[in-house]
Formats: sequence, C-alpha cells, structure tokens
Amino acid sequence: MSVSNDMEQPSKPHWFRVVLIGRRPEFTALRIVVLVVVCVVLREYVLLPIRVQGISMLPTYHTGQINCVNRLAYLRHEPQRGDVVSVRLAGDSIMLMKRIIGLPGESVAFHKGKTYINGELLDEPYLKNSCDWEAGPFECATNEYYVVGDNRSMPFVLHTKGRAERERIVGKVLL
Amino acid sequence: MKIVIRLFLLVAVVALGWWLWTVCFPSPEKAVLKRMQSLAELLTFKSDITPIGRASRASDFISYFSVDTEIVVNVPELGAHTFSGRDEVREAGNGGFATVPSLAVSFLDATAKIGPDKQTADVSCTLKATVGNDKDFGVQELRFKLKKIEGTWQITRAETVKTLK
Repeated sequence: MSVSNDMEQPSKPHWFRVVLIGRRPEFTALRIVVLVVVCVVLREYVLLPIRVQGISMLPTYHTGQINCVNRLAYLRHEPQRGDVVSVRLAGDSIMLMKRIIGLPGESVAFHKGKTYINGELLDEPYLKNSCDWEAGPFECATNEYYVVGDNRSMPFVLHTKGRAERERIVGKVLL
Repeated sequence: MKIVIRLFLLVAVVALGWWLWTVCFPSPEKAVLKRMQSLAELLTFKSDITPIGRASRASDFISYFSVDTEIVVNVPELGAHTFSGRDEVREAGNGGFATVPSLAVSFLDATAKIGPDKQTADVSCTLKATVGNDKDFGVQELRFKLKKIEGTWQITRAETVKTLK
C-alpha cells in the first residue's frame, strides 16, 4: 500500500508582504487598532508631549527639548513645592512651564534675590544664576500656587511668574 | 448580509445628512468660532503684501468690531491701555498694518459660550502671534465678547487675561 501526499501545500507568502502586513493580516490590523487606541488614550489622558520654548526655565530646561507632562501626577496628592508643572492658558496647546515655590495659603517674597516663604528662606538648589529680585510679599489664596521659572537672572518684570489657580495646573513635567 | 449592507448604507446616509445639515446650518458656537478664525486669517499677512493690501485688511479689520467696542490691553511688555470705540481701534489697526513687516496670528483652544438670548457670545482663546521673521512667538490669553448685530457677530469687548495673577 502506498500513500501519496499530493495535497497542495499552502503557498508561502512573499517576504515583502510578510514585512508589510505580517503573516496574519487580521492580527496585524488588530494590533494597529489597539496601538492607535492606546496612543490616543495616552496622549489625551496620561502623557502630554511638549516641546520647550523660551529661556525662563534655564538652566534646567532649554529651548527645543522634548518632554512630557504627566496628567495623572496629581490624582492622589496635590502639587508639591519644587515640582515643575505645566500651567495651561485657554487650553493645553500652549502652556507655561514653571516651578512651584509657593503653596496655597502661603506668602511668597523675593529679597536680594532669595526666596522667602512665610518669612523663611527657601533653599533652591536648582537655581544656578545670580538674582537681584526684590518684590512681594504675594499671598496665595486657598486654591493658588505661586509658580516661577528657574532663570531668575532675567529682570523681575520681564519674567512670567505669579499665582496659578489649581485648575490651571495640567500636570507635572515628567523628566 | 443584505440587511447588514442596508443598515450600513442607512447609517452612512444619516451621517451624510447630519454633516450637510451642520455645514448648511452651523450652530451659533461654530459660527462664532468661524468668525474668530476668519479674523485670525485677516491678521495674518506676509511681508510682500502691497500697501493697498495692507489698507484693505485694515479696513476689513474694523468690520469685526461693534461701534461701541472696547479693547482692554494689560500686559507687562506694553502696560495697560484701553481702546474705546471703532475710531480708536481703526487708528490702532491702521498703525499696526502699516508698521508690522509681517504677521502670523492664530487663536488656539478657542471655545465659545452662547448666551441664553442667542445674540451674545463669550469666546476665550490663546493668541499665538509671530512678528516678522522671528523664531520666537508671543502668546497671550484673550477673552472676547461678541454680539450679533444685523446678522453678523461683532466684537463688543476684547481683553487680555492674566494667566498668572
């Protein structure tokens, strides 16, 4: 008795097709859909990609640097002093990148370039440039944080800083 | 299978009809935002624009504002200033169009809230402006009040918003 195997073998897909859409196109399509959904959800609700522009956060952040804002950073706790956060304007297309130095209910003042919170000197190791700011005190309301850039070598009036309402803080800068 | 195809076609027709309806009869919010978009386009011009083109834009610019309009500017770079009425706005507009070499303006994150009478609207947005060949751009949060006057949305008040107090 002889057994012959004359059933046709499935033809092997062309290598280019394998590279382009994989061996099983239906799974490739599913993977693409899942990837797109994950990216959209991440972009909308978790990590917001940003490109730094301007000199107010020098030397910590430079123009052109790519970073991300963690929108979920303040789900479990409120913003902390020293956090670098993004503050939205009308929306989150363009935001301000600043460091929180004053918490709700606190008083912030600048004297001979040093920062004072409720009259006590604040240690700011991230500052590298000399500063001669003389201003304040500024009182933060119960829903406000005092935010300022790291580049205090700029004249006080030209530096964008001040009290940001909690609802304007989009999230914490990731890196 | 036929039912699925028919259902699909029905959904497609309904979607197309809805889209056509919104195009032909836009909601007041869309109409207001479209008006703001056209203002941004009017304020955007290149350096090769002719003096007549500049004058024409300045003339069109004033048509976006009501007769009793008020523009309140309060920014650290320029200080505080209020333009009251169309004449003052026209003067400022003419000066701006005549002196600025080129300008690119966009209103980002614009949202419109229509009043209960459907005749007034509040718009908030972020202005992004690039002057000349500058690599840097200026940003400023703005708030507008508009009123429907003779069928056209006109700006009755524009003011700068302090993002940080």
